[in-house]
Amino acid sequence: MSVFFACIQLWTACTLASALPSGQGSEDNAGYSSLWDELSEGFDYSLRFLTFGTYQAVADSTQNPDNDFLQIPRYMADLDLRPDAILSFRRLDVSIKPRMNLRWSAWENGTRKGDEEWEDDWFINEWLARMRVARGLFVSYGRENLQWGPAFLYSPSNPFFLDNGRSNPKREVPGMDFARIVWLPGMEWTISFIGNTDKGRQEFISGDFKEAYGFKLDYSGQQGYAGLILSRNEVERDRFGAFGGCTATDAFLLYTDFAFCRGSDVLYPVEDDTSPFGASMQAVDEQSSSLKGALLVGGSYTFLAGPTLTVEYLYHGFGYNDDQADYFYRLRRDASDAYGGPLWDLSRMTLGQTADPGLRFLRRNYGMLQYNHNDIKNLLNLTFRWTQNLDDGSGQFISIVDCLMGDHTQLFFIGTVNFGNGNTEFGTIVDSQWMIGLEYTF
Amino acid sequence: MTPEEILSSADRARGNVEGIEWNIDIESIEGEHTQHRSMMVKARGYNCLAEFISPPKVKGRKLLMIDRNMWFVKPGLRKPVPISPRQKLMGGAANGDIASTNYAGDYQPTSVSDDTVNGEACYLLDLKAINKKATYDRIKYWISKKRLVGVKSDFFTVSGKRFKSATFEYNNSIMISGTPRPFVSKMVITDAVITNNVTAMTYGEVTLKEIPDSTFNLNLLMR
Repeated sequence: MSVFFACIQLWTACTLASALPSGQGSEDNAGYSSLWDELSEGFDYSLRFLTFGTYQAVADSTQNPDNDFLQIPRYMADLDLRPDAILSFRRLDVSIKPRMNLRWSAWENGTRKGDEEWEDDWFINEWLARMRVARGLFVSYGRENLQWGPAFLYSPSNPFFLDNGRSNPKREVPGMDFARIVWLPGMEWTISFIGNTDKGRQEFISGDFKEAYGFKLDYSGQQGYAGLILSRNEVERDRFGAFGGCTATDAFLLYTDFAFCRGSDVLYPVEDDTSPFGASMQAVDEQSSSLKGALLVGGSYTFLAGPTLTVEYLYHGFGYNDDQADYFYRLRRDASDAYGGPLWDLSRMTLGQTADPGLRFLRRNYGMLQYNHNDIKNLLNLTFRWTQNLDDGSGQFISIVDCLMGDHTQLFFIGTVNFGNGNTEFGTIVDSQWMIGLEYTF
Repeated sequence: MTPEEILSSADRARGNVEGIEWNIDIESIEGEHTQHRSMMVKARGYNCLAEFISPPKVKGRKLLMIDRNMWFVKPGLRKPVPISPRQKLMGGAANGDIASTNYAGDYQPTSVSDDTVNGEACYLLDLKAINKKATYDRIKYWISKKRLVGVKSDFFTVSGKRFKSATFEYNNSIMISGTPRPFVSKMVITDAVITNNVTAMTYGEVTLKEIPDSTFNLNLLMR
């Protein structure tokens, strides 16, 4: 696998070098009187400035005893600067998205009660260098948030990202490092080879990042579109994913997104006589040859008056069944009870694993209903989304409101309310989160 | 000329050509609120990429249409959202309204009669959608007899109710096989119920150019 990555990086470096100015007469610079004109024409940028305040009501659950484990602040105030720049120069496209975040946090419960903290973070969330090496053939390397598929809730076919960024559009999904070769044999088909070489800005709480590479085949035709993804990670776990959709009528869309693989790295609660808790979180399917999968089906309908209703159902075969969930919550309770005692290290490790067992969703069956209406009176965008865990009865309500004020400014409000007790999926971390802010684009 | 030939000719003046680039300025008036947006559109056949260039708050948003499959891409939200042609672009304009017109492929003329629009002699075609992907169920389309371009249309719901009207101007020109042909320069959409809700789409100077397949590829969109 490392040979693959080395070849991609070498190829990218060589082809980038070949994009440098090579004198007059090239077909790629036709129509420009000077190099400066050509560069100016190909350069574009935007600068967004966001300021927002967040209130979070911490849930009372065994995952976060006395809010000491996750230490969730009650109040946060953020200031974000998000410039995006793109240069298209002959065969080369380069983009960069540096970010600055300044955050004030205050705690009102738990061991940090009364604390306040200022943090600043300067980073590059995404960047990309892409070269067209031949007609229809592209090579790229960079830090990307590589997303595909039509689903809102979850995109099982994507082996690289669990989060598709749909739950909070103001928070950017951290990018990871990818090398890609993309070949377009025709208008309808696209073949991609993708190497995920580094975790970039993604954080993995309990598991480690694993290099992975994949083959992706996309089809886009008059009747609809589809994608197929075969991937393998560095522990040689193979995964098959696919998605597809069609515009059934001018108003009605249907789609699906699914994946399956042999074995998984997901942590499951298992009986463990060596643990003082009598159980531990283990990747029991690591060597398993049994197939597990996830399937999402969805559809949306746009009414003449403007609103769009979207419905999705997810079967998430990697999640816990009732017995595993009972065991999970029992283990988490024991770890929580031991928190701060002589088994503090073990307790912390266990709570870290229960907080991030490697699952996008904890259980197996989910439903989602979304109402979206944009450009109401040229002023307002509304999205309301209800997600129901059909196994434990907990639910999540998300409202996203954008108010357009003038040419540069948007006022936004994002509210999340979780329903369910501390031993349910959505009742575990926060009861509610309210975010209000202003986005100004220069 | 047959009704189908008249319709095909009118289509050619609204984008049904190989490789074209234009700017569209949209002004929407709804009640007391007026909004302006500009987008750069690259189209080839029935594929189209529209990128919002102003105002700054929408700059960088993209609308990709591959035939009737459409995606919306927002800066900072990398995952493209599949959308329907009926979804509102702005004001009274639907996403399908900026795509190349393919009335000859999507609609069947059920009757042809004579009429006039602002004193100009026109064919009045009654068009019925022949596939479910068409943006509108039924259209009454006035096509100038002299210029063979659509000058007015009424759009109807499945229940037969007129819900919006549009008028067209053709002050742009493109060269096809060495011959100048008129090309759409303005489309004004008026809501049938609230008649002071008006959306005007002004098409900037049209440039014929080769648009590669990669322009319409979701995997290669710079976001």
